[in-house]
Amino acid sequence: MTFLFVEFWPWWLGGIAIGLLVPFMYFFLNTALSVSTGYGNLLKIIVPKTKLKWLNSENYADKFNWRFFFLAGIIIGGFLAARTAGMPVVTSQMGLFTEKSGWPFPAYILWFFAGGLLLGLGARLANGCTSGHSIHGLATFQKSSLVATVFFLLFGVITTFFIRPIVWGGG
Amino acid sequence: MANKLAYLLCGIFFGFTLSRSGASEYNYIHYLFTGEDLKLALLIATAIITAAIGMQVLKLLGNRDMRGGKIMIQRKPLNNYTAVGGSLFGIGWAISGACPGTVLAQLGEGKILGFCTMLGLLCGTFLYALMAEKNPEL
Repeated sequence: MTFLFVEFWPWWLGGIAIGLLVPFMYFFLNTALSVSTGYGNLLKIIVPKTKLKWLNSENYADKFNWRFFFLAGIIIGGFLAARTAGMPVVTSQMGLFTEKSGWPFPAYILWFFAGGLLLGLGARLANGCTSGHSIHGLATFQKSSLVATVFFLLFGVITTFFIRPIVWGGG
Repeated sequence: MANKLAYLLCGIFFGFTLSRSGASEYNYIHYLFTGEDLKLALLIATAIITAAIGMQVLKLLGNRDMRGGKIMIQRKPLNNYTAVGGSLFGIGWAISGACPGTVLAQLGEGKILGFCTMLGLLCGTFLYALMAEKNPEL
């Protein structure tokens, strides 16, 4: 069982499993795979009395609607996967980034916070993220998803091109 | 309630799969952008193709869900903000090594810096809510 629970899955297995989620969610729940919109639910839980009209739109009338449960499930899924794989319960590491850069921890906090800020704003402006646009949207042949995905990848590549030499001096 | 449990299970399946495939690993996302390891690119491509085939199967079956309801595919608008948002998202993706889904899996895995990314994501979403207050196009 180490194949499924300890070693990383091969790309085709992960790809098929994630891909199947799209038609399955439509068939069983009549719902489009979507993650980033659910961050509005989490915000509404943090600031329930907000007067901002976007957070009072129809999507967020019930902050504990399906999106909340779906997002909560992803956290639980990550937790279970880490347990079966024997990863540490808590870690301050983040792969190559913390391995190679050697920054003080508060700098990491700011760096990852800034990355998240751009992800959150970008996903809302583009109307979706990797799940809603790149997987659900491309699988249903949507032009806006193609545009969004091209820009996701293009700017990911450009940014990485600059990050690599600046943050950890090539290598 | 049964429905909410089903969504929770879908989420658990998604999070478990993302984590077990390495999609929530900073390194694989970094390698996706440098081209050093195509594992994630292949995974995403396989997911898109699998989802597309699945959606065609549903179409052949008349686009009906299990209760017989009509499946309405959610369409997303293409406008001037799609490219701008996509660019910001791409920069954030490369900086944090995560996207809105995988960051939740990272949180479950106990990655403290993933939690920082998630706080940023919440603030970025809030920033959008503030912008939408003044801009009727959003």
